[in-house]
Amino acid sequence: MRDLMPGLISLPSQLDIKAAAPLAAELLALRGKDLTLDASAVEQLGGQCIQVLLSAAATWAADGAELAVREPSAAFLEAAETAGLATSDFCTRNN
Amino acid sequence: MDTMAAIKQTFFQECEEQLAELESGLLTIEREEGDAETINAVFRAVHSIKGGAGAFGLDELVRFAHTFETTLDGMRSGKVETAPQIVRLMLRAADTLADLVRVSRDGGTVDAARVSQIGDELAQAGGAQPAPAAPVFEPIAMSGDQQTDDFGFAPVMISFDDLVGGTQADGGQNGFAISFKPKPELYAKANDAIRLLRELRRMGEAKIRCDFSEIPLLSELDPEGAYLSWHVRLSTSGGDAAVREVFEFVEFDCDLSIEAQGLGGTDASLAVEALLVEAGIKESAPAPAEIPALAPVPRQTSATPPQLAAVAPPTASQGAPAQGAQQPSATIRVDLDRVDRLIDLVGELVINQSMLAQRVMEAGIARLSDVAVGLDDLEHLTREIQDSVMAIRAQPVRPIFQRMSRVVREVADMTGKSVRLITDGENCEVDKTVIERLADPLTHMIRNAVDHGLEKPDDRVKAGKPEQGVVRMTAAHRSGRVVIEVADDGAGINRARVRDIAVRKELIDADAQLSDAEIDDLIFAPGFSTASTISDVSGRGVGMDVVRRSIQALGGRITISSRPGQGTTFTLSLPLTLAVLDGMVVTVAGQTLVVPLTAIVETLQPKAADIHSLGEKARVVAIRGSFIPLIDIGSELGYRDSEADPLQSVAVLVETENQSQSALLVDGIIGQQQVVIKSLETNYGQVFGVAAATILGDGRVAVILDIDAVVAGTGRDHANRKRNAA
Amino acid sequence: MSKVILTVDDSRTIREMLKAALMDAGMQVIQAEDGVHGLEMLESSSTPDVIITDINMPRMDGFGFIEAVRGNGKYRAIPILVLTTESVDDKKERARRAGASGWIVKPFDPAKLVSAINRVAA
Repeated sequence: MRDLMPGLISLPSQLDIKAAAPLAAELLALRGKDLTLDASAVEQLGGQCIQVLLSAAATWAADGAELAVREPSAAFLEAAETAGLATSDFCTRNN
Repeated sequence: MDTMAAIKQTFFQECEEQLAELESGLLTIEREEGDAETINAVFRAVHSIKGGAGAFGLDELVRFAHTFETTLDGMRSGKVETAPQIVRLMLRAADTLADLVRVSRDGGTVDAARVSQIGDELAQAGGAQPAPAAPVFEPIAMSGDQQTDDFGFAPVMISFDDLVGGTQADGGQNGFAISFKPKPELYAKANDAIRLLRELRRMGEAKIRCDFSEIPLLSELDPEGAYLSWHVRLSTSGGDAAVREVFEFVEFDCDLSIEAQGLGGTDASLAVEALLVEAGIKESAPAPAEIPALAPVPRQTSATPPQLAAVAPPTASQGAPAQGAQQPSATIRVDLDRVDRLIDLVGELVINQSMLAQRVMEAGIARLSDVAVGLDDLEHLTREIQDSVMAIRAQPVRPIFQRMSRVVREVADMTGKSVRLITDGENCEVDKTVIERLADPLTHMIRNAVDHGLEKPDDRVKAGKPEQGVVRMTAAHRSGRVVIEVADDGAGINRARVRDIAVRKELIDADAQLSDAEIDDLIFAPGFSTASTISDVSGRGVGMDVVRRSIQALGGRITISSRPGQGTTFTLSLPLTLAVLDGMVVTVAGQTLVVPLTAIVETLQPKAADIHSLGEKARVVAIRGSFIPLIDIGSELGYRDSEADPLQSVAVLVETENQSQSALLVDGIIGQQQVVIKSLETNYGQVFGVAAATILGDGRVAVILDIDAVVAGTGRDHANRKRNAA
Repeated sequence: MSKVILTVDDSRTIREMLKAALMDAGMQVIQAEDGVHGLEMLESSSTPDVIITDINMPRMDGFGFIEAVRGNGKYRAIPILVLTTESVDDKKERARRAGASGWIVKPFDPAKLVSAINRVAA
């Protein structure tokens, strides 16, 4: 995960079980600020990282901050769709 | 050779190794030197044979191995004790397993009654209840033909029950409602809910709804916990079993319910929805968090079960699979032909090198010149290469030694004797061919040792010996040869009886004066058999004469020594390789001959006073008080008509297998040399007195003398023994 | 990208059969002869997508090997399939407890083998 610019981080390519805890910690550290997740590099997205991302969306919504996903990769979209989710489920809905 | 045939060959090779492992493990247990790992190794050996046999549909082998394994498992877990009779039973079971392996490989039949009897005994030893029947596996149809499809497309028999009416004839679809809630363990075992859902989508049309209501805020979240659950409506041509198979690995790591809906038809709600969409009444956009799979796998158009559709065919874009293969093994398997070709080439190199050395010498180049020194180095290197190449063919004698313990058991069983086989030097390495050809002679010697060598238990006790006899088999390297000894602690050779038999069979004259060694040596005489009846054991119609001949054919020697009341020892001395030989190069009537160094005792210049004539042609030479027959090689082999003048000749004193000595008359000695053996027989058939040929440094072909044949052929071998014309 | 499979089995026959079936399905194969060797291969080769391991092996058996892989932060996400000779439930249960992702019953059918791999590493 790299900070591309304030409020924008890039998700790593492998979001498997090993990635869940570091991802949760990284997001938690950014809590309270508007955040965009660049999902263009994601090659694998597993159930537990989906949980982290969904939890983040709920947390940001509760905090009244904005969380968005941009440029989701094909793998990201396919995994979300397989999980019965849409990209919008990973974002705060403020409209 | 196609892939499966090659693997099958590997399997049988491995079986041999496992059988050896099995036997040596059991013997260790028998000696009460085993530990838990010994039992494990024994179990693994049988288990491994069973596993491979299953893959090749060798049912009988699988069944027996399974029974065996079950009992061994009992031993492993301590339910079956390692009592001596149990271990003996297991050793017999190991022999039976070896028989079954051999029959599976070479064809033929096994004694079915014996197999089932040992099987029953094993089952009994394994516990009160009979061993459960081993599952009989169907052989796997693996296509070895490179032109046909890969394994993924091998037709697989699938029961129609799996398809639950979903045949293509009625185009039937099965509907399922699946609820699925993973537990953290599911993820911890590297399974993933997403992959399982993906599998469901591959089966047909899946509507997946995710329930994420239980997900806590990030601060409360256990990243490796499990909070999501899914509800899937699946329409598939596959049956209940196919759906359950998706969750086969995770059924204990999740809450799962699978319910069939609307068997044999399309799910009603899906159909209605489709109609509504078609009529433009309902938007085709999916409801939030409930989207139909966008790219369902097209419905099956063949009887291929749906789960197979998931198998991606290998395509060119996936790259050549062979590139990915890695072999961690530190050994390689090489075709023997290739090794032999290398040995041949190195043989040529040796010859070439010595020819070159000779030319250089002939050219009068100084011994210490750079050229000569360089040549010396070359010679060293050549020898080293030769040794290294020979080492490739060298193998430890262990497998053969291990085979002998079975022979001992069988003969002991049949003769009612109690025997312990002690082996030593199993790691001694000998040429592969030598090892292969040693099996029969050694088997015979071991049989003899137990059957004739050892006394019956009662007699042993009477003689003040322990009831159990000991046969000791050892191998060791001694001055460039391997020496194998087979010794028993029995009664020793009954010389009076041997003599009687030899006289009765007209092998010797009744009044012949023989030393103890000469009497002992009679058991190698053709047609001699010490057993008064041809027993089941030593039978087979061969005697020690055949043993001696097969050992000689290997360039070896066999000798016997016996001490009354203490036992008999057979000593085999064998060359390490069949490809080179240390010889003495001699000249006879302009011919160059090679005398194997192992046969030579000494060389000497005969003096007129020592030469004595016996009868018409025979001459002897007196050496240190004994009279040794003189053999004129030149006339024996037909190189010249006239007799050689002993005073102008050199006498090479040689000793034959039966330790009788003769003096070969040759014109001169050129020197000692290691020569590369070239078989003459393949080209010319057997020639009298000639064992093989070689090419010398000067490029000339020289024959290697077969000392025993030459000596026997002259009839002077044994003054007191009648010639056996055959 | 073709999958990389690490096979751990002390039987040369089974190793060769696995290799033939997997390579025919376009996968790459790394071989190890027991658990200890398997761990060495993990360190020295490219990380496999799936591990297939036997249970009965010298030096380190399948259970020990699975536990070692699951206990290693670097490799714990690799799915592991266990080879069992029959569908013996207690073996499967022990393998599951040790952390196996799934199992393959020997003698395996190549198609089933590949489908099991796809199920744990699609």
